[in-house]
Amino acid sequence: MKRTPLIPLALLLLVAAVFLAVPAMSQQDMTTVPTEGFKQTTRLPAVFAHDAHNEKAALADCSACHHGEKDGKRDNSADTSGIPCSDCHSAQAKPGKTPLMRAFHRQCMGCHMDKQKGPVTCGDCHEPAPKK
Amino acid sequence: MHALFNLAVGPLAWLAFALFILGSAYRLMAMRALALKKDASFVAYISWPHALKSLAHWITPFGALGWRENPGVTVVTFAFHICLFLVPLFLMGHIALFDAFHGWSWPALPDTVADTLSIVVVAACLYFLWRRIAVPEVRFITRTHDWLVLALVGATFLTGVLAYHRIGDNLFMTTLHILCGEAMLVAIPFTRLSHMLFGFFSRGYIASEFGSVRHAKDW
Ligand code: HEC
Ligand code: HEC
Ligand code: HEC
Ligand code: HEC
Ligand code: HEM
Ligand code: HEM
Repeated sequence: MKRTPLIPLALLLLVAAVFLAVPAMSQQDMTTVPTEGFKQTTRLPAVFAHDAHNEKAALADCSACHHGEKDGKRDNSADTSGIPCSDCHSAQAKPGKTPLMRAFHRQCMGCHMDKQKGPVTCGDCHEPAPKK
Repeated sequence: MHALFNLAVGPLAWLAFALFILGSAYRLMAMRALALKKDASFVAYISWPHALKSLAHWITPFGALGWRENPGVTVVTFAFHICLFLVPLFLMGHIALFDAFHGWSWPALPDTVADTLSIVVVAACLYFLWRRIAVPEVRFITRTHDWLVLALVGATFLTGVLAYHRIGDNLFMTTLHILCGEAMLVAIPFTRLSHMLFGFFSRGYIASEFGSVRHAKDW
């Protein structure tokens, strides 16, 4: 009985595909706001399905959230899509700068309170992400 | 619901803190004026050494005879008051709001510790409730006022714990919690909860009389 090398090869390919696909897929649809900028976290990461959120909230302008920096000041005309907030907002406060948690809370909670739409309480953002 | 939440964390929060601080100041000044008018001769005899010594005993668990009489009540009362102050001042939920709205931030208790201490407060309220119903000599002196005050404190902590555990609709529970907390703050100067303001003075007064006049300890 001679086995063809095809089956192990196919299996190997399948395994490799799964390993490659999982991170690629999670990269594609963000379900929570990344927490890498924090040394440690105490709450569940905030629920945030990036594309679905912006579609539902009708946010076409990326710089509504992804603003830039000019002369140490915030630059709303620059579009920094894809740059993590933590690149400019560190977890630990430097005087006069907005630390990371405050940056998120002001941006997310601030808009929701203005528009009176979207979550405004701790438990409505820091909750288990809905399973897909 | 969003509109009510915005009202509760905005204008009503300002109003509650203002009424709490100004109301407390007013009550203290009014009481001082009344004491000077009615009992000026005694006010002159207030003795700081006796007052402070007595207070030191009374803020120590079992440091006064009154605290040794009923150990259960003593333990619950101290646990209740310690948690009552620690939790709201060092709760992440409160600090995060001050941080987001005003940019003020200070160290917080770990969430699980704050949560446990909050549950201790709720349990203590249930104990006080039970005592007011079950112990005849306590029931006898209980007035509507006492139920109201206990309900206010209990409701604030219970809704806080429920909100933290995401039990019930979170926006509703959190808004309810904030309204209860604000009602409780306002109630401090104007109800029996004013024992926070006057307790020290009553004790100091009694201690002065015991110390300077009767030459006896009041603890
Ligand atoms: C409601 C606010 C908001 C809007 C509007 C928004 N983003 Fe984002 N976006 C975020 C947040 C928050 C992150 C996570 C940032 C971090 O990692 O710190 C993010 C991350 C990203 C990332 C990197 C993470 C990833 O892998 O998906 C890209 C790329 C991105 N956004 C592109 C866009 C583009 C393009 C637009 C406009 C069409 C846009 N964003 C509009 C909030 C927003
Ligand atoms: C290229 C750098 C840069 C990036 C990326 C960036 N910011 Fe900022 N942001 C700034 C600067 C500079 C300011 C103004 C100075 C300050 O408050 O720290 C600012 C201010 C803010 C403020 C205003 C704070 C206030 O006092 O009102 C918020 C909120 C904020 N950022 C949120 C975010 C969020 C959320 C992200 C990610 C989606 C983000 N920022 C990404 C540079 C950046
Ligand atoms: C510029 C305004 C704006 C900003 C900034 C914003 N949101 Fe929203 N968000 C909305 C609006 C509007 C809705 C309500 C959409 C609806 O239900 O119609 C919403 C809804 C949501 C929802 C509920 C989505 C659903 O399916 O019902 C979540 C979760 C949420 N936002 C999270 C976030 C987080 C996390 C951030 C910060 C990274 C953020 N939002 C920043 C406007 C904003
Ligand atoms: C509109 C959504 C939203 C609301 C409401 C909100 N947060 Fe957050 N919070 C975030 C986002 C986004 C981050 C940054 C990354 C993350 O945790 O996903 C964050 C980060 C944090 C962090 C730091 C990271 C960690 O896990 O330790 C804490 C603590 C926190 N939030 C506590 C709270 C508390 C307490 C409340 C209620 C007063 C609250 N948040 C309300 C969105 C929200
Ligand atoms: C201005 C009024 C107040 C506001 C805006 C407010 C806000 C909040 C919020 C948003 C939470 C949710 C925290 C979370 O999910 O982690 C919370 C929890 C809580 N709050 Fe308040 N609060 C107020 C007043 C008070 C007062 C006066 C007290 C008590 C003296 C109090 C005691 C608590 C407790 C015990 C919890 C639950 C903690 C836990 O179980 O972890 N709050 N509060
Ligand atoms: C420094 C401030 C305070 C001191 C020294 C203090 C002291 C006391 C003392 C000695 C008692 C009597 C215990 C008993 O009768 O069994 C008591 C009861 C009580 N305190 Fe305080 N207290 C303070 C602040 C507060 C605050 C801020 C609140 C609520 C907002 C509060 C709520 C209560 C309640 C509800 C009871 C009565 C429980 C009951 O028997 O029904 N106290 N306090």
